[in-house]
Amino acid sequence: MIFLRGERVRKQETMISAGIDIGTSTTKLIISRFSLMNVAGTTHVPRIEIVDKEILYKSPIFRTPLIDFTTIDVAGIEKIVRAQYAEAGIDASQIETGAVIITGETATKHNASEMLHYLSNEAGDFLVATAGPDLEGIIAAKGSGAFDLSNRTRKVIANIDIGGGTANIAVYKDQKLLGTCTMHIGGRLIEFNDQRVASIAPSIGRLIAEQSIPLEIGDSIHTPSIRRVTDFMAESLGRILKNDVRREDEVLIIGHQPNWQEEIDTIMFSGGISECMYNHESASHLAQYDDIGTQLASSLQQASLLQAFSWAEPVETVRATVLGAGTQTTEISGATIQVAPHELPLKNIPVYNYDFQEDLARGLANFEAAIQTAIEMFDATREGQNFALYLSNLPYMGFRDIQQLARTIMQVMSQRPKPGEPIILVLQTDHAKVLGQTLLAMNVQQSVICIDQISVDHGDYMDIGKILDAGVVPVVVKTLTFHSS
Amino acid sequence: MNEQLIEQITKMVVEKLQTTNVRSDVREKDRTEMPVQLYQQSATGNFREEKVINTTPGNVKFFNTVSQEAKPSHIKSHPNESIESDKKKEEELAKLRKKTPARIAVGRAGSRPKTNTWLQFRYDHAAAVDAVYGEVPKEILDGLNFFQVQSKVVDKEEYIRRPDLGRRLSDDSVRTVKEKCKHAPTVQIVASNGLSAKAIEENLEDVYLSLEQSLNNLNIDMGTTFYIDKGRVALMDEIGEILQPDVVIILIGERPGLVSAESLSAYICYKPRFGTIEADRMVVSNIHKGGIPPVEAGAYLGTLIQKILKHEASGVSLVKKEG
Repeated sequence: MIFLRGERVRKQETMISAGIDIGTSTTKLIISRFSLMNVAGTTHVPRIEIVDKEILYKSPIFRTPLIDFTTIDVAGIEKIVRAQYAEAGIDASQIETGAVIITGETATKHNASEMLHYLSNEAGDFLVATAGPDLEGIIAAKGSGAFDLSNRTRKVIANIDIGGGTANIAVYKDQKLLGTCTMHIGGRLIEFNDQRVASIAPSIGRLIAEQSIPLEIGDSIHTPSIRRVTDFMAESLGRILKNDVRREDEVLIIGHQPNWQEEIDTIMFSGGISECMYNHESASHLAQYDDIGTQLASSLQQASLLQAFSWAEPVETVRATVLGAGTQTTEISGATIQVAPHELPLKNIPVYNYDFQEDLARGLANFEAAIQTAIEMFDATREGQNFALYLSNLPYMGFRDIQQLARTIMQVMSQRPKPGEPIILVLQTDHAKVLGQTLLAMNVQQSVICIDQISVDHGDYMDIGKILDAGVVPVVVKTLTFHSS
Repeated sequence: MNEQLIEQITKMVVEKLQTTNVRSDVREKDRTEMPVQLYQQSATGNFREEKVINTTPGNVKFFNTVSQEAKPSHIKSHPNESIESDKKKEEELAKLRKKTPARIAVGRAGSRPKTNTWLQFRYDHAAAVDAVYGEVPKEILDGLNFFQVQSKVVDKEEYIRRPDLGRRLSDDSVRTVKEKCKHAPTVQIVASNGLSAKAIEENLEDVYLSLEQSLNNLNIDMGTTFYIDKGRVALMDEIGEILQPDVVIILIGERPGLVSAESLSAYICYKPRFGTIEADRMVVSNIHKGGIPPVEAGAYLGTLIQKILKHEASGVSLVKKEG
């Protein structure tokens, strides 16, 4: 049995990925090329992984075009994207994966959702629309290098991405997300014009009222009140990182309170404000933002509460989020899967996690009720919104168990309001191909998309791309929630 | 000794092993949660050097050779900090242990492995030996409707000593195969215990049913599947000669190791005949509970066979044809 040769496939396949970040102040874009390869041993079932990521093009930093304070200039953004594709020598049809992310205050504009989905359809074959403060923080931490650093140092690391409108905190240890928090801290929350205060964001309006800081539109750029505001932001950030939230900090928190338990060792700043600290880009464009950005950076650098942590310099500053969106959002499914190619790509599929708790019989008994709950949850109006079923903690299964599972799935999924919609299954264990084939063998009426080795959870949304030559599909998992200020 | 008795005793030992494992886990937990003093801060007992009473006259000198070990200064006290750092070390070791089924960081007692480790090792070794010398239960073959034939090998000893005999069917078996099997099918599946009967016992049904379903889905015609006792991989050449199938796939027990004694391999070859070179065979190995799940392996093998049929090649030739 020793003198044997197996299948030796070391062919590489590449795919082009785009990342587009539309933030409060700036918009930028990145194009990269992923190399995929079978990394399994020659006698094993193939395992396809992304083995290399090469950045092909980085756009300059553009001002985010707005029509007015509440409306994004969609045509303006599309113009930037198209011009940058041309500059990079890439056609929109070549973009096989990637994400467009709308971040900070821009995500609260009234046409944000519409713009995002329009762009994801226009700017690439499988460009995924993402938004949501938690996701911003997560993507930025991956782009800034904090995620990787957490693995190397085994310390608890908080990445704080501060742009024009929001500070997005993501806390990692050993590449595991411990928690997130988002705050109203950003450069553009107070803007200047002709050396005078030109605008104050509503969140800051509440802050100065609570703290009795005398500041109003028309005040001089040199009023000490500005420094009081930025100093308060820095101290409040320090308290939140220490998980010591006081009543006066609540005005700055967006959404949930900090939700990590561990003590943070190291902090890393990314985003536009971090650019003011580290000057990775050419220094020339700094002054052009007529806002409190530089002052905020200096307050953060001097705040004693923040000095208590050790500081790590990011790999990317202002481009952390776009880098994360372009290179860190795509996952590759397991190599043995069963998908109906004509149904792909599928976009914005909500995920329902059904936990078998290692007990097939009991799991199947409660299965129908769970699917009814899922339908209630995602399709309350019974319009046929499809969902992906994530089957987790399945016990070890033999062929007859798989048949039993397939039979139940078939029966239950036919009770959906639109039974003809494809059955989308995501498996935690390596069983996608056999389950998919078993469904086909039972003459299932619907198309079947059955994939594995993708980690998702309740409430996630996922996009599944077209099948690649290697027999795998690219998947982007995200949380798509629009927060309001 | 009768086999049932052996089985009973083995079971008892394993159960005992598992219960002591649990107990030692509990103890371990207590140890990390409470800063219990594991060692006396100061030495106890009688460490006074004994005076040798010179009873014999003359120049014989007595040296106390054990005095080094008796010195209390060698016993280190464990303050709380070191328990903390031990805890960290233990965490790190647990992480490493998770990455491999190999017996790493299992600790030791003096220069020997700990009793649990040693018994586990002996148990795994015995399981490997059992896998080689064991037999496939008849019910499994009957359940799948496989008939059984023999290689030219007479017994296990000969099987191990004479691989060449394991690569040929006995004369009776050749007749049986000719008689009972469909001639010139697209795919001929066979199963053999090879070096692990346990592999067949645990995985054959799941791999086979899943593979059968996969081939049915793909409309690929299958021959009459049968089981060969004490066969070897290259036996597929003779089967190719007798039945003239396009593809032969043999599901065979792998040589057992100390991590798994029940790993199954699937060897596949396009038109194997006498003289087929090894480079034209291909294999999907590591099919078992802890490797690739048998049901998934069967599903994958179906599509692999489809690819072989499409390119009319297997092994290195297939890689070349695929480009």
